[in-house]
Amino acid sequence: MTGGSQYVVAAYAVIWFLVLAYIVMLGARSARVSRQVEAISRLLERKGIAPDDGDDG
Amino acid sequence: MPSSTTEKTRSGRVPGARAALIWGVIAAVLVTVSTIGVFLVAPEDADQGVIQRIFYFHVAIALVSLVAFAVACVAGIFLLRTRSARWDDVGDVAIRLGLLFSVLVVITGSIWAKASWGTWWVWSDPRLVTYLIVVLIYAAYFVLRSSVDDDRRMRYAAIYAIAGFASVPLSFYSVRVANSFVHPVVFTGSGAAMPGSMLIWFVVSLAAMLALFIALLEVELIGRRAERALRRVALALENT
Repeated sequence: MTGGSQYVVAAYAVIWFLVLAYIVMLGARSARVSRQVEAISRLLERKGIAPDDGDDG
Repeated sequence: MPSSTTEKTRSGRVPGARAALIWGVIAAVLVTVSTIGVFLVAPEDADQGVIQRIFYFHVAIALVSLVAFAVACVAGIFLLRTRSARWDDVGDVAIRLGLLFSVLVVITGSIWAKASWGTWWVWSDPRLVTYLIVVLIYAAYFVLRSSVDDDRRMRYAAIYAIAGFASVPLSFYSVRVANSFVHPVVFTGSGAAMPGSMLIWFVVSLAAMLALFIALLEVELIGRRAERALRRVALALENT
């Protein structure tokens, strides 16, 4: 690469690496919330309260 | 009578999910279009050459980071007026995203500085130093949040977000009032110092970064609402 294009590539790579890392972090949190929902669902079943499937229609 | 939000939640729809999806699609389209425009359509700068292409995203991200801090400031004002935890979420997430964008600005700016000026950082430049101060002020926001108990956290965080926003005009206008600097000023009171064929792709890049910010904000807020609801359910279950 010539004429400083390596700097342009580096700048854009940093931008999209950090944005993607942030999105992965959001995905990890979503997975954690999902695990908590499952844990609460199991707790409800143990307490004899049948959780519905979320579809009221 | 239940609120419309409760109705939507009971019918299985997640509040904010539609907005997140729409903004996500808009961001994806605009980012694609702006990347193509910046690299394949926009003319090469006669002075800086290919290095100038960093400008399109670097400046767009910088402006959006300041918008994020403005959003946090407004959310802080609404929180103090309403005491609603919803505004605490908006302020916290806006500053989190503002800080992410700020870090990107500092890194891409340093890369651009190395390519253009031959050095990674210039301590004598008011724009660079005042922007770094803004970043450090907002980084301290999270130290404050983690060091205050739940009752006072929202109120203190809101006051800090409002007070911290005072540093934003300091950064924005520093380069305009300073006598000597190396950081260029592209946008002045008399308009943009660039041809229309470049300005159009800057505007598209700015719209792309703004849409990305809104999409990430919406997704984060959905997660916050879900976590808050889960905590309420877990607490209710513990008490049964």
